[in-house]
Amino acid sequence: MKVAYYPGCASHGLSKDVDIATRKVADLLGIELVEVPDWNCCGGGFLDEYDEVGQVALSIRNLSKVESLRLNKMVTPCSVCLHSHRLAQHKYKEDSDVRKAVNKRLNRANVQYSGTVETEHIVWVLLRDVGVERLKQHVKRPLTGLKVGAYYGCQMLRPESVMGFEPAFNPRSLETLISITGATPVTFPQARACCGFPLMGSNPDVGLKLAYNVLSGATNAGADILVHPCNLCHLQLDTLQLKVVERFKLPQPLPAIYITQLLGLAFGFTPEELGIPKLALEVLRKKGVV
Amino acid sequence: MSTPVQVQDLQEAEVVFRVKRYSKEKGDYWQEYKLKVDRFTQVTEALRRIKVKQDPSLAYRASCHMAVCGSCGMKINGEPRLACKTLVLDVVKKFGTNVITLEPMDRFPIVKDLVVDMTEFYDRMERVKPRLYPSKEVLEYKAEHRLKPEDQRLLWKFAQCIWCGLCVSACPAVKEDPLFLGPAAHAKGFRFLRDPRDTITEERVKVLADSAWRCTYCYMCYHVCPRDIEPVTAIKKTRALLKSVKPMGPAQEVGHKHSEAVYESIYTYGKINEGVVYVKTYGLIRSLVDMTYAFRAGKAKYALEKVEPVKEVEQVRELMRGE
Amino acid sequence: MLIFETRENSRGPALDKATYDAVVVGAGLAGLMSAYYIAKEGFKVAVISKVFPTRSHSAAAEGGIAAYIEGNSDPNDSPDYMAYDTIKGGDYLVDQDAAELLAYKSGEIVDLLERWGALFNRQPDGRIAVRYFGGQTYPRTRFVGDKTGMALLHTVYERASGTDNVDFYYEWFTWDLVVDSDRRVRGVVAFDMRNMTPTFFEARAVVMASGGMGMLYKHSTNSYINTGDGYAMALRAGAALKDPEFVQFHPTALYPSDILISEAARGEGAVLRNNKGERFMARYAPKKLDLAPRDIVSRSIMIEIKEGRGFPGGYVGLDLTHLGEEYIKERLALAYEAALNFAGVDAMKEMIPVRPAQHYFMGGIDVDIKGRNPDLIGLFAAGEAACVSVHGANRLGSNSLLETLVFGRETGIAVAEYLKTASWPSSDVAKDVERSVDQAYSVVKSESGRHFGEILEELRSTMWDYVGIFRNDGGLRNALSKIDQLRGEINKMYVTDKSKVYNTEFFNALELKNMLDLALVIAHAALNRTESRGAHYREDYPQRNDQEWMKHTLTYLRGKTVEISYKPVKVTRWKPEERVY
Repeated sequence: MKVAYYPGCASHGLSKDVDIATRKVADLLGIELVEVPDWNCCGGGFLDEYDEVGQVALSIRNLSKVESLRLNKMVTPCSVCLHSHRLAQHKYKEDSDVRKAVNKRLNRANVQYSGTVETEHIVWVLLRDVGVERLKQHVKRPLTGLKVGAYYGCQMLRPESVMGFEPAFNPRSLETLISITGATPVTFPQARACCGFPLMGSNPDVGLKLAYNVLSGATNAGADILVHPCNLCHLQLDTLQLKVVERFKLPQPLPAIYITQLLGLAFGFTPEELGIPKLALEVLRKKGVV
Repeated sequence: MSTPVQVQDLQEAEVVFRVKRYSKEKGDYWQEYKLKVDRFTQVTEALRRIKVKQDPSLAYRASCHMAVCGSCGMKINGEPRLACKTLVLDVVKKFGTNVITLEPMDRFPIVKDLVVDMTEFYDRMERVKPRLYPSKEVLEYKAEHRLKPEDQRLLWKFAQCIWCGLCVSACPAVKEDPLFLGPAAHAKGFRFLRDPRDTITEERVKVLADSAWRCTYCYMCYHVCPRDIEPVTAIKKTRALLKSVKPMGPAQEVGHKHSEAVYESIYTYGKINEGVVYVKTYGLIRSLVDMTYAFRAGKAKYALEKVEPVKEVEQVRELMRGE
Repeated sequence: MLIFETRENSRGPALDKATYDAVVVGAGLAGLMSAYYIAKEGFKVAVISKVFPTRSHSAAAEGGIAAYIEGNSDPNDSPDYMAYDTIKGGDYLVDQDAAELLAYKSGEIVDLLERWGALFNRQPDGRIAVRYFGGQTYPRTRFVGDKTGMALLHTVYERASGTDNVDFYYEWFTWDLVVDSDRRVRGVVAFDMRNMTPTFFEARAVVMASGGMGMLYKHSTNSYINTGDGYAMALRAGAALKDPEFVQFHPTALYPSDILISEAARGEGAVLRNNKGERFMARYAPKKLDLAPRDIVSRSIMIEIKEGRGFPGGYVGLDLTHLGEEYIKERLALAYEAALNFAGVDAMKEMIPVRPAQHYFMGGIDVDIKGRNPDLIGLFAAGEAACVSVHGANRLGSNSLLETLVFGRETGIAVAEYLKTASWPSSDVAKDVERSVDQAYSVVKSESGRHFGEILEELRSTMWDYVGIFRNDGGLRNALSKIDQLRGEINKMYVTDKSKVYNTEFFNALELKNMLDLALVIAHAALNRTESRGAHYREDYPQRNDQEWMKHTLTYLRGKTVEISYKPVKVTRWKPEERVY
């Protein structure tokens, strides 16, 4: 299958490994990811503060690029990009005041959009389009014995009325994917709590505390490692993990990797091929997974 | 002519309500009630039947049973919901089990069974001065208000808060940050801040400004709000309105720089350039300190990754230009 | 462990006492308005409510508030037309001075609420918008989205809570009026629901604004809290209820929650069907069909259900499916959403399950247009708890919100006037207070027996079956004997919960006592009125009889019996005529 691919800004930076692993896994599964040509930022969850209409318009510019590829699905590995685009589409459809203002700008900038594109998360595509059975067939190195905390965070789930893939208070997608790898999924109380990343730009103390809540919650539930579905959770829980560990004196880190990185390992890719981050690698080695 | 009320999936079922009970005298414990319900039965109706027919001692709040009074907030299978706006069989279908747990809302002290003490919630609402302060002229009938239909629509969206407390009970930022007013109070606060008929804007700004930058945009409030008022949207709009008012509190000061940096980055590159945004928000020294964490996490190689700017960045800028 | 044993056994310590100039019981629109206008004159007011103010039943009103606004109404309209519509709608049992006052003050009250911040829907020029409602000669209904009651309740609460001199006691249960030997109101006894302690709220004036009584009926659109406490308190204290036989039933309440589906739905083309798919209204009202008056439609639905043509559970279908998605979304959004949210029914694909349900109580504590009760000095009432006789035998849509505000304010002003001259009586009422508290405690004495729930369900069925939409001599006598029996049984009621914290079972038991007192009075008055008028329909007396019955019923509770007397209807300008639409 062929889908449009929206990597998101963080994939050009510190979450580059998310992009690397996602492309590898998709390729193996026969999903052709066509990068949205000349895509722009979704607003990062902040632009709408300054300019709600502009944020919707920018998202629609991306979707119009997808239409020009004659595709009707845009997939992203980033929950925030997913959220921004879906929410923008929702507003554009439901709020006539917003739609009018957006259309004005689209016209001015010569952007055509007819509303045929659906934005989806890579997790949804893996489960809905590829399917559990086909995913299972690709497992070459079962991750038996590894206990993996399933961390959803916020934006892939909420609001359920706009995201719609699974119940926001009873999500199972990550547990399902973890099970496929042969690892043991660990469900923990903070699985749907915020990682604190969006607060890093205004109130970092509380932002880090939220990250700590997630890490300690999963640790207490017995997880060896955490998987998540988001470029920005990755920044918070991987890149800044040691800051959280130091500040709150966690006995040891609980490394976080992206869901396609875990899948890739089970599918037989080397950690290097998947860009598995350093902290995670240490744990995976210790657990004898790699 | 239509077919009369159709048989669709589940029409009737026997369900088990596991209710988390508490009384000062007995402490907390779980109790189960079996009940036959049909597809129309609201959780409030199920509770009423339990109370009237099985166990008169069960304590819960419920009044209007049509989602306007905000009495019956509780956790239903872990999800903060109004019991009246929840059909029993919908929960059964969604969770794939006929056992439904009912618990009191999080955060607020439990008084008895499903009844919590909401004093703290009411205090939060009071802090934003939840009432219009019209001009003296209007109150003395020397002038009258006009309100544009589009303003009425905008304000009414946020004025529909029914004080049920669900959003505050579920908000992660409220839990960690005593300086954050919380979602409901912000929705209420914005509704008056933005009301052109109000006269105490300065005072409202003082109350709302810094707090608005203490929200973590987790969209929990948007999800749980039974009236779809989207408190987080009110917070975003508050930030937009107050982004540069001074004096700035600590969260606003950082947050304002951050949002401005995000905006600039998108305007310049069409994308967010993490490094630039970080430095603009926190300054060079702090950024370098934080960068050490990234390096220690083995991310040095990505730090030098170059942002590829949008080629048609002029088009992006056009889309960002207001009217 | 018996609750409250300390108090019962030792008779001390002295009861908590709080002193106010006025106590307002109930924090819905009427109560808040009264409180605001009393406090405005510098008097100290306690507002006591068993729920937090914004949870009051006023919030449930959807459609709007009728108002003639000078310069913002149909140019042909006038307050006189509005008064006339109200009088005709009330089947001429309306006191016409009250209807005139309601109409003439409607514009200024809506204007006042706007000045306080209410977000009325707007016209393009920024003035308040207007729409039609049933029974209006010209469009007069002002509205805030589809949640007018909620919007106005919040506005008035915001206003009242920002005022000095008003103390709110929410989640306090008012149990009894305290009246001295001079028939003077001395205050109320109320319990803090959180810790169950009683307090004597001493006051020179009491405003009963405690709302309606829908819970007396098996099916009601009312909030669960509407248990008629104020009526029962007034009755026990010796005040009259006026016209209690007039109970309004709405034909289309959503099954099984009984949430109102506005008659706008039928106005826009929805039709009622039985389990055979028949448009059965053709049999009962061949011309008006589904748009026949409320009482006729209600009775027709009941007959269909009784004769086995309803759906299992007892309802009929309200069919919108032929109207199409676009039309439904545009014109019938409210009905559509209610069905979806509260019954899980997609009205574009299937019929909405509906049945008739109790909706409003036209009767109430007898008061004049200033909210004053003539029986007890210092007793006032407003809103649904009161009977100003502005609705007569049948209330028009959009008039209940209006009544709460107009007469809530009139009452508040009247109380303030009264307080300016009323002295603090000196006689000791401690004994009366003690007796009242003991009476409340008496319901927790039994260690076994029937729960409130069993008795309650029997009462609600009895009222629905015999004092409901159809009434006749035999049925009403049945009801009376059943109510008598139940009133005997509650003395042996068993309250299983002995907790001293938020013991809702205890308060439910007290509510049940209130409901039984009220039920007795309603059934008596319904048996007594041998005619059909407005909402009161006697199968054995199907005609209106102005000769004998153009008069108000006054009912007094005297222990086990009810004493009935009459009062003339105030007629100013409009002579009774047949009520034809």
